[in-house]
Amino acid sequence: MLGKGAGGGGAKPAKPSFVSYVSPEEIHKKEPVEKEVNLHLLPGELLLCEASTVLKCIQEDGSNRGACGRLICTNFKIAFLGDESALDDEPEFKNKLIGENDITLHCVDHIYGVYDEKKKSLFGQLKKYPEKLIIYCKDLRVFTFCLRYTKEEEVKRIVSGIIHHSQTPKLLKRLFLFSYATAAPTNTDTQNQTVMFDAIKDWRDELERTKGNMKYKVVSVNEAYKVSEKLPLYFVVPMSLSEENILQYQGRGIPIWCWSCHNGASLLKMSAFPKEQEDSTSQMQKNFLDGVYRTINKPPYEVVKTDDLSNSLPSLQEIQTAYVRFKQLFLIDNSTDFWDSDVKWFSLLESTNWLEIVRRCLKKAIEVADYLEGQNTNVLLVEENASDLCCVVSSLVQVMMDSYYRTKLGFQSLIQKEWVIGGHCFLDRCNHLKQNDKEEAPVFLLFLDCVWQLVQQYPPAFEFTETYLTVLSDSLYIPIFSTFFFNSQHQKDTNMSGESHHAQSSHFRFLTVWDWSVQFEPKAQVLLNNPLYAEKPKLDKSQRKTTRCKHQRQLSLPLTQTKSSPKRGFFREETDHFIKNILGKRISKLINSSDELHNFTEFYDSWHCKPVDFHGLLLPHVEGPGIKVWAQRYLRWIPEAQLLGGGTVVTATKILDMMEEVQSLQKKMEEKHSQTVSQGREVLPVLRNSARLSSLFPFALLQRHSLKPVLPTSTWKDLEDEEDLAKRDDEFVDLGDVI
Amino acid sequence: MLPGSRTSFKIQPHGLAPVPKGPKSSDKRNRNSQAFPCIPGELVLEEAARVRKIVRSRGGEGSVLGTLYCTNLRVSFVPEPALSDTVGAPRHPTCPHNEHDVVLPCIRRLVAVNSFTKAKMLTASSTLKFIPEELVLYCRDFRVLRFRFHESGLEPRAFQVTMAIAQAQQSSGGRPGTWPYSTAIRNLENVWLRTEEASLLSSFPTLLFEGLCDWEKELRRLGAAGWRVSSVNERFDMATSLPKYLWVPSRLLDNELKRAFAHFNARRIPRLCWHHPGGSNLLRAAGFHVDSDPEKEDVRCVEALMLAGHTQCVVVETAADLPGPADIQLSYLKLWTLCLPDSSVAVADEKWLSALEGTRWLDHVRACLRKASEVATLLEEKTCSVVLQESDDRDLNCLLASLVQILSDPHTRTQAGFQSLLQKEWVVAGHPFLQRLNLLRDNDREESPVFLLFLDCVWQLLQQFPTSFEYTEAYLVALHDSSYIPFFSTFLFNCQWERDRRNQHRASNQIYASVNGWREPPPLEILQKGSCLAKEGRVPYLPTIWDWALRYTAPERAQFRNPAYTRGSNTGNAILNGNCAPPGEDKPEATLARNGAMYLFAKGALLLQTHLFPWKNGSLSKKGWRQAPSSESLSEQEWSLRSKPSSCLLQPDGLLCPVSLGPLIRLWRRCYLRGSSEVQRGLFAPTLAELANELDLLRERLGDGQAMGSPRVTRHGSREPQPGAPEGKRSPLSPSR
Repeated sequence: MLGKGAGGGGAKPAKPSFVSYVSPEEIHKKEPVEKEVNLHLLPGELLLCEASTVLKCIQEDGSNRGACGRLICTNFKIAFLGDESALDDEPEFKNKLIGENDITLHCVDHIYGVYDEKKKSLFGQLKKYPEKLIIYCKDLRVFTFCLRYTKEEEVKRIVSGIIHHSQTPKLLKRLFLFSYATAAPTNTDTQNQTVMFDAIKDWRDELERTKGNMKYKVVSVNEAYKVSEKLPLYFVVPMSLSEENILQYQGRGIPIWCWSCHNGASLLKMSAFPKEQEDSTSQMQKNFLDGVYRTINKPPYEVVKTDDLSNSLPSLQEIQTAYVRFKQLFLIDNSTDFWDSDVKWFSLLESTNWLEIVRRCLKKAIEVADYLEGQNTNVLLVEENASDLCCVVSSLVQVMMDSYYRTKLGFQSLIQKEWVIGGHCFLDRCNHLKQNDKEEAPVFLLFLDCVWQLVQQYPPAFEFTETYLTVLSDSLYIPIFSTFFFNSQHQKDTNMSGESHHAQSSHFRFLTVWDWSVQFEPKAQVLLNNPLYAEKPKLDKSQRKTTRCKHQRQLSLPLTQTKSSPKRGFFREETDHFIKNILGKRISKLINSSDELHNFTEFYDSWHCKPVDFHGLLLPHVEGPGIKVWAQRYLRWIPEAQLLGGGTVVTATKILDMMEEVQSLQKKMEEKHSQTVSQGREVLPVLRNSARLSSLFPFALLQRHSLKPVLPTSTWKDLEDEEDLAKRDDEFVDLGDVI
Repeated sequence: MLPGSRTSFKIQPHGLAPVPKGPKSSDKRNRNSQAFPCIPGELVLEEAARVRKIVRSRGGEGSVLGTLYCTNLRVSFVPEPALSDTVGAPRHPTCPHNEHDVVLPCIRRLVAVNSFTKAKMLTASSTLKFIPEELVLYCRDFRVLRFRFHESGLEPRAFQVTMAIAQAQQSSGGRPGTWPYSTAIRNLENVWLRTEEASLLSSFPTLLFEGLCDWEKELRRLGAAGWRVSSVNERFDMATSLPKYLWVPSRLLDNELKRAFAHFNARRIPRLCWHHPGGSNLLRAAGFHVDSDPEKEDVRCVEALMLAGHTQCVVVETAADLPGPADIQLSYLKLWTLCLPDSSVAVADEKWLSALEGTRWLDHVRACLRKASEVATLLEEKTCSVVLQESDDRDLNCLLASLVQILSDPHTRTQAGFQSLLQKEWVVAGHPFLQRLNLLRDNDREESPVFLLFLDCVWQLLQQFPTSFEYTEAYLVALHDSSYIPFFSTFLFNCQWERDRRNQHRASNQIYASVNGWREPPPLEILQKGSCLAKEGRVPYLPTIWDWALRYTAPERAQFRNPAYTRGSNTGNAILNGNCAPPGEDKPEATLARNGAMYLFAKGALLLQTHLFPWKNGSLSKKGWRQAPSSESLSEQEWSLRSKPSSCLLQPDGLLCPVSLGPLIRLWRRCYLRGSSEVQRGLFAPTLAELANELDLLRERLGDGQAMGSPRVTRHGSREPQPGAPEGKRSPLSPSR
């Protein structure tokens, strides 16, 4: 059996030959291994090792209840196949790639082994094999596999196999992404409407859309990555910036355009120079920045407010620490833990600091929005590589200010623009290759959490639901889509083309995560769309212009007040300030924070006084009670946290049902009016079984049994004599009959 | 505050017509009333013009210019006409839940601020030594009203109105006999009688449990065949705090019953609250009286009462896991301070969560929910009698008994059922509302918002089971707000006895003092005979809180109805209608003869008692409740709180099993955070209601247009198109997709 052969290699992980399995040619040579009916392998997927009679514990409460089956490790996932056939009621919201009991290798967070009731973290080579394997996943599932009844040989093989494939450092080329892309049939076209920003036209269109094309231009100096490997092929800079400037420091110190506000103010980002020891170098850099500023200072650009994010936002290290602690609250392998923590729930939550970081990001975004919208000032975000918190803040600002980014397509384009093409190091930040733990930081999750706060505060403003965000966060760990598996556009391009050692592989194509049909059936995709989305009323152009004018008139008021000083003079100050920041001689936090606080509260308060326009500026509530836990993502796998009544899920489904019914009835009305009645054909919408949804929907199935406190029966039975028992039986019958 | 209440205080023209010249009314009174729409009987004490009401507390921006009135009922602010939109729906003359108004008992704290001195809290006795520039009213319904006095030579006015409010607030109804509300109540009633015709009063028939027939009707609904209504306390000579009528086992005669009273605190004997269709019974009782003698013969009656025909009886010590009234008050005050939209006491955002935890309010909510679901499970899974025992049976027993019923009985999740439940377990059962709400401010130490805690628990259930309740969050908020408005009889008395005395007293006055245009009050005899006679068209004498039409407009009341509610299946009702034979009916003698087993349930553990009653041991102390010697290990006996899936399948309409985990017990924002800037918008509520209306409308139109034969769309089997319910219908909205 081929699978076992490969697994045999797994048992002796020291052998270097072991890793060679992935080589894509091999896949073609080898016959597909699935002789079992159950096991469904993706193209390019390869069974590595397996173990039978493994018990999957349903709940870790001491009892060994659970399902028996095979545990399987492939080069894509760890899967558990139950011996008993799956339940008939298929979950409505089913991921086509990842089954209920599948864990992709990148989704594995930690693996623990249980030895004599003691839990130990498993890594490296093991001397002794555990009786139980606990796998914590990055999407917060927890699996417990009991290996007590498994053959020792198989235990060794599967445990070391799983540890090896999920925990040890990998080469980029060994990602399943490549095996899949090579083996999968190249479906020629996927009708993908998301703007990918990998072509010059996309950037031009975006400039056009935001009316930024008067002051900014797309440059193609980076074609063939001449300037920098971190920068995308095409990007947008101020019109007056010359090519030499861009080339001089590999793109550092260059303001790169993100987005333009309707009043003309723009959001820019810039990667800072690394701290230099030598005075001469720093002097040169200072001069360079001066020069850059002088050029972009010419009239259309006016004032620029710079914001060094490393000063005002938590560091990546802090974010990672907070998230690790936060995540711990929801990784439950023992339900009693959960019960214990609930008395101190809020203070535990607070001590993780995660929500506070979310709040700080939102506050920062509000502040930037204030400069752009309220004060008509350009904002320049500065960060070491302009690819971490820069992405968070700039995309948040755009979501808050531009209703286009609150549509599904717009949001996806935004992620393409700011994150994927913008050069966020997904590979490092998600630690997909397990090469360097220090680089790991859930920056993208932080962004999604911030967006979730907005979504739950203003549901009608978004075309997508929180389920969409949750599913998106899960997609981070599915190595089929290229979207989240490269550090930059450059890395993706180089790995796709000539450099790879198989000659004819240049034709392969990566899938993008935005093609949701790869993961979900159309029926399930419905759940990603918000039925309550208040679509933007179509305005013709004349109307639009008048509204814009009005805006500007309002906005010009504070501008004239605050910026009365001659622009030149003001700008000099700004530049100095700015340069100090850039050169690492950080200005004290105090000054920064005090003026930020002042501006921002006034803007924030006055916005919240007015009624909300779902298509205009959207500012989140950031007060204490405003920031909440993304319950759907963090609680969805915990059966104890299941609301049997369904909570908001049921309400939302109800709305969906009603919308459909309203629509069908309206259609009927129309038909009736137009007298083209086709009585025979009754088009009824698809019925949704909304009666039995719990709050875990759509991720986990409703637990058919209720979680009631259990009565101690033994005490009772002693005292109940037969007479009583008989009577009780009768009652049961009665009840049953009636129900 | 409900949305749509933006309009200024308006009065229907006829609302003022029958102003009676009460003893207090004088010419002076009408001095200002052309500007201020008084409720008949209301008296303007002081007023100040050109006062600015600060609309938003933060930022200091936004103020409304208007006149501030202090009357003997409330503090009211009337904005200048320019600012009040005139197109809004006319308000009821009698609803004091306007956003600019606050009834005097609702003011918790009154603070005068001057820029030179520190803020000073005002009471009736305090002397104000400075001219206030700003007056801040901290309300018990979590609002903060700020009034800033203009600097235009109005200082004396400012001083006067401030002092007037301080004094009026303190003396509002200090002596229950002569409170100013009595006049207002009488007049309100008049208004109410007029609105009666138009209102949908009968849409939610609430059993008040003041008369015999309500008790009998409810007993029939429960199908508790082994029980009867006893009128042993009809004249309140057995126990003054108990209702007139009690549900007791049929086989116990009144004579026997009378002997049991002395064994319980305040003579509150065990009596039935609810009968489970499966046979279990829920009872409530006060603690055993210290002086009761266990050797006496009549202990048998106590036994019979508690066992209620079962062989097993579980005594639930209510106080064991739940907070006491003092704890509740303490954490309520902390919560109140935390949630006030007042920047001076605001907690830093990053410390908000631990501050919330520090109030322990959510802990209390959780404890109540957990205990209630344990008791509900006990009732569901065993056939026994469960006796809730609290030392005085008037606070947490009310809460627990009603919560258990909401979990177990779908009927209580309808508005009518819920209101009846509140009448039965709170109002008539003698929850001391007057003391707990402290509307008269006679004793601060007795204050405790047990009722609010209960509403919060119900709200949590509403969140978790959005389709199981006929009423909405808006309804609960309205109920909460109404509890601070002393116009209605429901929350003004400590027990039925007090209420009846007041009514008799007032009624007899009324007969002689009737005024032109007044409706003759119903004769005393009718009142005393209860509402059986009242069926025909008469109503209890004082208006109750359930007359929502009195205070809330039709669109507001439409928000009380949950559009997502799916009515329980009819089979479920059939059970409750008594198709099941109650246990023990067949062999009552046998079960009674054999002494049953007694368990004690406290702190999540079920313990067998060696002696049926503690005093049989000769010891009254807690030692008597000794744990049963048992061969089983303790762990087996303990009621494990860890949830394990039990065999019972989930029933959509049966028992609700709420989750009380930390992350899922939430803050009732709409109630507690209403003052803050946060948008008070239900996540889906408005849209859902609109959709439901749209659906009804479409169905109706389609039904009208199409022939009878054509199939109707009735997907939601329970919600048949109902042509006759035109209220709240709106023009079709266009769905966004």
